[in-house]
Amino acid sequence: MNLPKLVVNNMTRRRGRFVFTLLGITIGIGAFVTFLALGGSLKQEVMREANALGANLVVTPKGSCAYEQVSILTGEVLPSNITMEEYARVKALPGMTVVPVLAEKSAINNRPVSVSGILPDEMRAFKGWQIAAGSDLAATDEIAVLLGAEAAEQFRLQPGGKVVVRGEALPVKGVLAATGGKDDVTVFLPLATAQRLFGTGSHVSYLAVKVDDVTGIDLAIERIREQVSLGVVSDRQMLASVLAIVGSVNVTLQLIAAVAVLAAAFGIVNTMLTATYERKREIGILQALGATRRTIFTLFLVESGLYGLLGGVCGVGSGLLFTLAVAPHLEQNAFTSFVKGSGGIGLPDPLVIGGAILFSAAVAVLAGLYPAWRASRLSPVEAISYE
Amino acid sequence: MNDIITCRQLTKNYQRGSVVTPALRGVTLTIPRGSFTCIIGPSGHGKSTLMHLLGGLDRPTSGSVSLDGIALDTLDERALAEVRSRKIGFVFQFFNLLNNLTARENVELALMLAGVPGSRQTARAGDLLARVGLADRADYRPAQLSGGQQQRVAIARALANNPPLLLMDEPTGNLDSEAEAEILAILKSLHAEGTTVVLVTHNAEIAARAEQIIRVRDGLAFMTAEDAAAGRLVA
Ligand SMILES: Nc1ncnc2c1ncn2[C@@H]1O[C@H](COP(=O)(O)OP(=O)(O)OP(=O)(O)O)[C@@H](O)[C@H]1O
Ligand SMILES: [Mg+2]
Repeated sequence: MNLPKLVVNNMTRRRGRFVFTLLGITIGIGAFVTFLALGGSLKQEVMREANALGANLVVTPKGSCAYEQVSILTGEVLPSNITMEEYARVKALPGMTVVPVLAEKSAINNRPVSVSGILPDEMRAFKGWQIAAGSDLAATDEIAVLLGAEAAEQFRLQPGGKVVVRGEALPVKGVLAATGGKDDVTVFLPLATAQRLFGTGSHVSYLAVKVDDVTGIDLAIERIREQVSLGVVSDRQMLASVLAIVGSVNVTLQLIAAVAVLAAAFGIVNTMLTATYERKREIGILQALGATRRTIFTLFLVESGLYGLLGGVCGVGSGLLFTLAVAPHLEQNAFTSFVKGSGGIGLPDPLVIGGAILFSAAVAVLAGLYPAWRASRLSPVEAISYE
Repeated sequence: MNDIITCRQLTKNYQRGSVVTPALRGVTLTIPRGSFTCIIGPSGHGKSTLMHLLGGLDRPTSGSVSLDGIALDTLDERALAEVRSRKIGFVFQFFNLLNNLTARENVELALMLAGVPGSRQTARAGDLLARVGLADRADYRPAQLSGGQQQRVAIARALANNPPLLLMDEPTGNLDSEAEAEILAILKSLHAEGTTVVLVTHNAEIAARAEQIIRVRDGLAFMTAEDAAAGRLVA
């Protein structure tokens, strides 16, 4: 007989209570890990998309808010009310390269995909795209599409295949080499074709701007503002405001998880207190056999901590499994769509996993302090005389 | 020093809220080393209370207990636990055993608390159970054992660390005469080997065979029936 064996024996003698208490902490930590994993990959994806955008500045319709800035990064539909004439005026400014984008959505095999109307030559030069198969779009009114690498793979499309957009079957002309950004899951149409199919007239959603001299960004913003009455945001500002939103979503989710963990902690307090009542007589016997208060205290505290450790491990496991299972189903939402598609889920690093388990154990040990103290304060006679 | 226990002017008041119950009112007695002593007396007069104080399970309101030369009132909680572990084997009337542990594990528990390493516990527990005739029941749980067998496991456990003193509170109180006889046989042989046996009992037959009888009445202790009648306290 040794202390760990005694603890495990004590812990598992009431199967139902053991399972439900463990389930409580498992769910709490599981939620915590799930939100952490989803939130973490959200943030990673935002940074990656901002990077893949390849622009220093984005010209948006006046009064665009952070939500629309998120949509630029995720490839959601955007209002299209920047005119080609405005595009021409910005393009005419010195010291910058400008490309227009019409951001729309369509579906292939009932799966939503982002559709971008672009000027093929300008865009290829702007992004430095490589063509992996077939050839690039030629004219701006050509009836054809260019596919991102992952979209091609996902829908098993190759040059020669067809994609239906707005009821019109368009031949696949080329497939892009992987870029690591949302371009990989996007269908590109020549701008004029896209404008015709989506009926946006001669409007586009936003202009992506690359400044020749990065130190002159403020000057570039000034010039654009003088030229057109549109909103201008730098990639830094955009990233900051999007990350702020993502951050506050994460904090909210983690608060919810914290409440779940707290509730589980009280479950442990409850279980351990009940155990001290049930085992009152046994505590007396142990004391008569020579157990010190400290031994009794340790016995209960270790049992409680073990709940946290086991619950932490189960919680991390189930949280990660749940994340993997649920992530592909998060769609149609500017925030959550970051998580699906392009990169998949980035698992939290081992430090976070270890931290979650330690956190769980620490919470459980804290929860066990009071019951363990109660158990250790029993006098032997009080415990033995208990009926 | 030939007395294993010496106690002087022991008093014990139980306090429940503002109600004070005097359970012992000044007990002075000695128990010779190696003796077979019975504590008898009417119900509720303080026998169990006395046994708890003699064994360091509880602290007296006043007075002193010396056990094997150690003044218990000078000991802190840890040292007192150590004394209980090494010097005394306790057996109570009911529920001595941890129900979710086997007979062997119950005995091992006492060894564990005395710091005996796990590797040596199993063999020692087996020997002790054989000593009380339960070698073939080592892996049974208390619920699978008769009342008499349970008490024998409790005795085996009490003997775990070779204590010089066995303190038992009506160990045969709820056993039939056959089971009681088995237990008494074990106690006799332990006594023959030199263990001091102190037994609280209601059974006059058992008491008649004791070397020393302590009568507890109304919180006081007397040596003989005549003493009790005359109110002469144990010296
Ligand atoms: N924990 C307690 N709190 C209050 N009073 C108590 C407590 N334990 C015992 N008493 C009281 O102390 C007195 C002596 O009790 P004790 O248990 O020592 O009697 P006893 O001689 O062992 O009786 P029995 O033969 O029934 O076991 C009784 O009046 C009892 O009510
Ligand atoms: Mg009693």
